[in-house]
Amino acid sequence: MADETFLSDDLLRQLMSVGEVDLLVGILSHSSANTMRRAAHYVEKSLQQNFVRQRVAIISVDGGAAEDAGSDYHSGDGQPGDSLNSKGLSSLRTIHRITAGFNGTPSLGLALRTILSSSDLLRAKACAVVSPVTSSASPEWVANLLRPAFRDNFDFVAPLYSRHKFQGLLARNLLYPMTRALFGRRIRELYSDEWAFSSRLGTLCLNEEDVWREEAVRSRPEAWMGISALTSDFRCCQVYLGEKPPPPDGAGPDLVEVLRQTVGSLFWLLETHQQAWMERKGSEPVPTFGPDHAVTAEPMEINRARMFEMFQNGVKELGPILQLILSPETFASIQGIATLEQQFFRFGSELWVTMLYEFAASYHHSVINRDHLVQALVPLYRGKIYAFLAEFSEASAADMEAVSEHLCLEFERQKPYLTEKWKVGVEVKS
Amino acid sequence: MRVTIVQGLEQAYYNLVHMVAEFLPRFVVMVVIILVGLLAAYLLGHMLRAVLRLTKLDRVSEDAGASRVLRMADLPSMTELLSRSIFWITWVGFILIGISVLGVAGLQEQISRLFRFLPEVFIAMLILFLGLVLANFLSRAALLASVNAGIRSPKIWSWSIRFVIWILAISMALEELGLARQTVLAAFSIVFGASMLGLAIAFGLGGQDLARRALERYLGNSTKEKYKEPQPL
Repeated sequence: MADETFLSDDLLRQLMSVGEVDLLVGILSHSSANTMRRAAHYVEKSLQQNFVRQRVAIISVDGGAAEDAGSDYHSGDGQPGDSLNSKGLSSLRTIHRITAGFNGTPSLGLALRTILSSSDLLRAKACAVVSPVTSSASPEWVANLLRPAFRDNFDFVAPLYSRHKFQGLLARNLLYPMTRALFGRRIRELYSDEWAFSSRLGTLCLNEEDVWREEAVRSRPEAWMGISALTSDFRCCQVYLGEKPPPPDGAGPDLVEVLRQTVGSLFWLLETHQQAWMERKGSEPVPTFGPDHAVTAEPMEINRARMFEMFQNGVKELGPILQLILSPETFASIQGIATLEQQFFRFGSELWVTMLYEFAASYHHSVINRDHLVQALVPLYRGKIYAFLAEFSEASAADMEAVSEHLCLEFERQKPYLTEKWKVGVEVKS
Repeated sequence: MRVTIVQGLEQAYYNLVHMVAEFLPRFVVMVVIILVGLLAAYLLGHMLRAVLRLTKLDRVSEDAGASRVLRMADLPSMTELLSRSIFWITWVGFILIGISVLGVAGLQEQISRLFRFLPEVFIAMLILFLGLVLANFLSRAALLASVNAGIRSPKIWSWSIRFVIWILAISMALEELGLARQTVLAAFSIVFGASMLGLAIAFGLGGQDLARRALERYLGNSTKEKYKEPQPL
């Protein structure tokens, strides 16, 4: 049940005027008003074309640009037959637009909570969350995300993208294989900007009162929601959306911040769902709509030498910190490969997985401050990515898939090691 | 003569008996106070340990990096340290009260002076401990940030932060104890001022190129291409 006191009076007024809907689309952003308007335009277009008879609403939850966006947001209030329609079909119902602002510090977690509460109050059967950047890529994305949750009764719908073979390397080398090995479901993109869910999963997450202040949920609510669906044995699926657009300014996000958010969130989720992942063995595929993810291989310029230098420097300077986190054998192995020449450097799957599991166990036992622990992983990740780029610069898409599968199986093979490290610490502490 | 000696001995005997008669009850009271203190200290320490375990103070201490400092100093966990401290503080307090009951002239004044000085000692120790924890935490944060940003000689930044916080904590602790206030203040000003001046001169003269590059970066005029990494997500 939605906590109505958490929502602002203005938002409640808007929700009451809408009544009930079948579908709700939330646009999460801290972007400019123009970006939000464009995103809302594409979302509305998609809904008009694909959900002609359904009652739908779009809620824009934006921290910085809410007022600005809101001033113009309501003016084009979803009249059927807007000039957006290209198929000749138009929605038979009014598409409602709602704007929600923040009272406190904006965060994605707070935005998701607002969407969940709104979805609950509007009795929406399915809900999709999209980012303004990617929702502009193709109007079909929103419909493709919503369909499995609305028509096929799936509770959690994750996206699948087409990517360059050297993009999404954190997901390929760490997030996907580790999540798959531990939680037993093969969902490739748990850390994404768009996903969909059923009212059942929405209610389950909304009723979790204690999690909303957690940094992992504030920064990466989609992963928490996905793992909640997996561990509660809800029906999950993946849907192919298309090519993932690059970040707006052309530059990638800050690596340290991305690792703090994603890996920090994953380690936190391991702790909060330890009973669930410890009991699971192996992994199973989930239903996939559309083709499986695709990999492209155009040439790409990356400064690999600098990456290797940062790895070596990191191992040298952070030695005392790494010694607290890693076992003596693993630390010695890392030190050993850090002394190799660039052309001979390899970061094997076995060492990579062992090292990550030791990081996860040390996070659980709070060997050092947890944020510092995740930051200490950054140079090692750079080393792994350097080795990956060097080894697979000429590899085909099929070769890359084979390597990824091998890594996933290594994570599954070493899972008992993590369980052992995890439990040993608990016994010592108690 | 003989009578005088006997009277003297009798007087000495009476005085001794009188003193013992006066001292013995006080001594018994002192022993009782010390024993009651021992019991009270044990109970307080035990209760505090239970409460701190319940509130998971050790986890908070781990998160703040305080536990590592304790381990480095070969001290027990935060819960154990606080529990033992409260035990000893309580018991020593009772022991001093017990000794004051004896009514030994001079000792009482010293004890009361010690009691008056105790809060300041405690606060000074607390300042030092917090300074140590803060210095450790911030220097590690600086080291990680510098290494991950690819800054050269990251340990210089880390140690600079640690050094400044230590100096600040030691100065504050000595100030709290009231030891050589003027000297401490002057020493702190000299050390801190000299460090800052040294850094400014080193950066301005020794690192002209570095300063220019930093300013260019700050003003957005850098000609060097920014280091880019493959998109992680």
